[in-house]
Amino acid sequence: MSTYALRRVLQTIPIVFIISILLFLMVRAAPGGPLTAARRNPNISKEQLEAIEERLGLNDPLMVQYGRWMGNMLRGEMGESIKFRRPVSEMIGERIPNTLILVGASFFVTLLFAVPIGILSARKPYSLFDYSMTTITFIGQAIPVYWLGLGLIVIFYVTLKNPFTGDPLFPVGGMNSRGQEGNLLDTLWHLVLPVSALSLGWIAWYSRFLRSSMLDVLHEDYVRTARAKGLGERLVYYRHALRNAILPLVTLIALDLPSLFAGALFVETIFSWPGMGRLFWDAAKGRDYPVLLGVVMITAVLIIVCNIIADLAYGWLDPQVKYE
Amino acid sequence: MKLKLFSLFVILGVILSACSGGGAESTSGGEGGDTAVLILPEEPTTLNFYLADAAIVRQVADSTSMTGLVTIDETGNFVPVLADGLPAISDDFLTVTWKLLPDLKWSDGEPLTSDDVRFTVEVLSNPDSGALVGTSGFDLISNVETPDDLTIVLTYSEPYPGYLDQFAYGLFPRHASGAPEEMPSWEWNRAPVSAGPFVVSSWESGKSITLTRNPNYYEAGKPYLDSIVFEIVPEPAAQTAMMLNGEGHVHLWPGEFKADYDEILNGKAQQYLIPGIWNMAIDFNLSAPFDGDPSEAAQHPILGDIRVRQAIAHAINYETLQQDVLQGSVGDSTNPFAYGWYKCELPRKHGFDVEAANQLLEEAGWVMGDDGIRVAEGALYAEDGTRLSLELQGYTAFDPLQLTEEFIVENLKAVGIEARIQNYDFSIIFGTFEDNSPRAVGDYDMLIFDRGFTTEPQGYNFDAYHSSRIPSAENTTGGNYFRWVNADVDAALELAGTSFDTETRKAAYCEVGQAVIDELPQIYLYLFQDNYGIADNLEGYVLNTWGSMSWGVQNWKFKAGE
Amino acid sequence: MNEALTTVREQSMTTLILRRFFKHRLAGIAVGVLAVLVLASLLAGLSPYNPTDQEPTNHFEEPNSVHWFGTDELGRDVFSRILYGGRVSLAVGLISTFLSIFLGVVVGALSGYFGGLLDATLMRITDAFLTFPTIFVLILLGAFLREQQLFILQNSIFVVIIIIAALSWMWPARLVRGLFLVLREKEFVAASRALGGSNTRLIVRHILPNCVGPILVSGTLQMASAIITESGLSYLGFGVQPPTPTWGSILSTAQSQIFRAPWLGFFPGFMIFITVMAINYIGDGLRDAFDPYVIHTEK
Repeated sequence: MSTYALRRVLQTIPIVFIISILLFLMVRAAPGGPLTAARRNPNISKEQLEAIEERLGLNDPLMVQYGRWMGNMLRGEMGESIKFRRPVSEMIGERIPNTLILVGASFFVTLLFAVPIGILSARKPYSLFDYSMTTITFIGQAIPVYWLGLGLIVIFYVTLKNPFTGDPLFPVGGMNSRGQEGNLLDTLWHLVLPVSALSLGWIAWYSRFLRSSMLDVLHEDYVRTARAKGLGERLVYYRHALRNAILPLVTLIALDLPSLFAGALFVETIFSWPGMGRLFWDAAKGRDYPVLLGVVMITAVLIIVCNIIADLAYGWLDPQVKYE
Repeated sequence: MKLKLFSLFVILGVILSACSGGGAESTSGGEGGDTAVLILPEEPTTLNFYLADAAIVRQVADSTSMTGLVTIDETGNFVPVLADGLPAISDDFLTVTWKLLPDLKWSDGEPLTSDDVRFTVEVLSNPDSGALVGTSGFDLISNVETPDDLTIVLTYSEPYPGYLDQFAYGLFPRHASGAPEEMPSWEWNRAPVSAGPFVVSSWESGKSITLTRNPNYYEAGKPYLDSIVFEIVPEPAAQTAMMLNGEGHVHLWPGEFKADYDEILNGKAQQYLIPGIWNMAIDFNLSAPFDGDPSEAAQHPILGDIRVRQAIAHAINYETLQQDVLQGSVGDSTNPFAYGWYKCELPRKHGFDVEAANQLLEEAGWVMGDDGIRVAEGALYAEDGTRLSLELQGYTAFDPLQLTEEFIVENLKAVGIEARIQNYDFSIIFGTFEDNSPRAVGDYDMLIFDRGFTTEPQGYNFDAYHSSRIPSAENTTGGNYFRWVNADVDAALELAGTSFDTETRKAAYCEVGQAVIDELPQIYLYLFQDNYGIADNLEGYVLNTWGSMSWGVQNWKFKAGE
Repeated sequence: MNEALTTVREQSMTTLILRRFFKHRLAGIAVGVLAVLVLASLLAGLSPYNPTDQEPTNHFEEPNSVHWFGTDELGRDVFSRILYGGRVSLAVGLISTFLSIFLGVVVGALSGYFGGLLDATLMRITDAFLTFPTIFVLILLGAFLREQQLFILQNSIFVVIIIIAALSWMWPARLVRGLFLVLREKEFVAASRALGGSNTRLIVRHILPNCVGPILVSGTLQMASAIITESGLSYLGFGVQPPTPTWGSILSTAQSQIFRAPWLGFFPGFMIFITVMAINYIGDGLRDAFDPYVIHTEK
């Protein structure tokens, strides 16, 4: 097991380098550049644009630019944003806590609902509970996050008001009301709508998966053996079945965990939440290469690391799993 | 279950909003303590106007760093701001003498003197300053003298008509900025020490920029508001929702058309329109596409024939497009020179006339096919049997453009022309020759987009219409994407570029405009207007074509008793 | 002789599976619903209006007896647009999901079953695909496809289907690999192997049926996002261009009209919802049909 872990980590180093080259080329080969918008600005002359391109070093050979960027990355420097003229690390640093709060809270809410729903649905499949949960979670999955967010705004911000104060029931934008920065309850209040929009879809995924793998596991030999031994149904259910059913969920979590960093673009956009998703999207639209590459590289490393952790977790959760 | 979940939400909302201090504070009404909220769709990259690559910067900068010696008011005239009247100019137009108002102060309390004007000239005339806009004419200033703290004498190497405009966009404080060649990295750019009505007090990246009143503002008693907050709200529906709840007061570029907007926000806010500079047109490719040759050498098989272009112009129902499809949110436009001193009032020559369109197509050798689309039979350049099918390109994620495209497709279908919409990302449509942008390499039929230019139109128009500017491998930056060659137009553009007489120049531009109408390398459709949503309880708002959403912010206040 | 016997056995197997499938009553209804949806979009030509005919003076009409689902921003009949839109959306949803699941299952099964170098290689490729930012893959593809003169490579639904599948196979691949890692160690696999079962037989006949549940869930959930992703593709310059309607594109244009015409978004959203629900219950039915242990508790 530990040799496997070591090998995986060692394998990762060349992979990260290859991926960094691919990502760099991908971002740079896409048409357009940081000056595409400026090119449409009637106030800016073509000569000025060329001078800026030259100064930013955008005309150097790509491999030279890659070398320069990678060299800086290895020294822990992500460079300066072309648009904002601010250090990329600072820009990313500002957004990480916001994203962790939003995505972390959504993850928490998701598991809070999805695990019991999945287990109970599998316990009594085709019951009224099972059917109504299926329907509700599927509404969450079938409505695009975008529409869900807009719907929540129309209902809970525009239409419904707090009967005592006449204020909107939930706020629509940002993380805090003005003058309430640092007030935890205020942040929670701001979190309700975006977290609902984000987690409803996830709850559908997770609860359906758990239900399905629980159903599979319940017919396994060891579960029947446990039953035959006269173990209580509850014990069989939660000790033996659940532990095995959780395995596919580990893959899912590993695939979703990097979004704790990468953020959730749609929800951040609708609810004016200053997270990583929007930072990435704005940088992508404006081709702000240093910011873009910084975000993309960190996300890539996180995806790889999470997948390694998932693989190791497999071996830990099920000793039968071998990697040979 | 659903109902339970719902009531849970309501209770949660009531509890949390009660605990968190009542939510958004009341921002309107009452005396003092007033805050106006301005809604922006995206975050400005800087508050230094001279480094701005997009219009969004000015929306915020106008309230703080863009207070200069003069400004352009809503009537289009220069009025003094920090200057004590407009400057005196010598008879040979080479010496301009500015006087400052007495006792001016920067927002940090330091005196604002003639030396700061000198510094501003030093920065903007420095070729290494990194400035993107607003530098024109500064290289012509050969000498700056400051005989006293209030007087600045500028000597020009040649007469410069824009001597007022130069000083309309803000001054730099020598003591609180930095070296001219390091301007792009000045800390000043995000927290400018200025002479404007407001000063940045906090900037939360991706969220909001808060500005509080400048205690040292030169007009006594102003600004009336205590603070203004620019909220960055990327989702249009959320912006409108904020206006609905009175949590926003000025709404930049609302997504809804005026009629709809006023209905939705009835009694709370209204939308106002002012003439803009973005002029929508369909460009034609007059040369053959996809022949590996970006030049004008080979004619476009369909569009090379002027009668087809005329028929297309006749097929479009301009009035319905402007009034019904775009609900009157745009003005009419027939040629590139639709505003400014060079505006040419030229009538539309090929107006909406389906019969004329059909007749022209018949004459041009395009006969109606079985499927309602014409085919070539004796056409000028197209082989017999060619379908009258053209690609209509545009850029994505811009609703008015897509509506226009869809409407025109139906218009053209009615006269037997098939138009296939193909929209690309902004970066492809406006990309470079090296990027293989379709218009640059000449691989397109029709392209629809909006273009605009400023008080000095020569650069843009020479590039767009002069025959020497047809893009090719040797001339990759050329902007004559039509591949249009017209000797008279070339001559008129050359004249406009060398003459100093405004009337001569305007006549030359109008000649170009008329040639565009006659030969139809492009068809002008309409002129966009800038739109703002403004809360009904905000008083003193003045719309200004030459300003921005926060121009004149020092005069705003909330109506009493609301 | 032997062949005939197999056929008989297969036949009875099919009947058994079918019988089991329809025992799940909702699965039966779901098949009916899906059939109606497919039929409706195939017969969209019978709709009262042409989906691209405009009447700009008559825009945003609320649903009424003339325009059942109202009219959109250009005064087009939304009911007709929904029917026509189903053609693209159902095709994209069903086929791209099938392709993505198929590719994912192949990669995941090979990787999980054989392990070792094959596993390492396939999974590192999967990782790489997961790290590529979708938007750049799409912009690059858009730029590349623009220069291709083959019509099949431009604007066709075929391209959309391939792209959506290419962007989403990694999830089922990772999932199936995880399941295989566990299942290949189980007693019944060891038993079959001892009896001389070939690898193919082990994978297809023994392990795969045990993964059907999670795979189907993954498929149903992926379908909704495929239908929505399609409209996102046209925003990036390829895929189905306006004025051809799709559920996703009607939904995304309706977004800016949420206050003016909220019903515009309701209809396409509802269509996607019932499609996904139908697929889900069909999935449930299939699961029961293939799962020999299920004892149906439904009365």
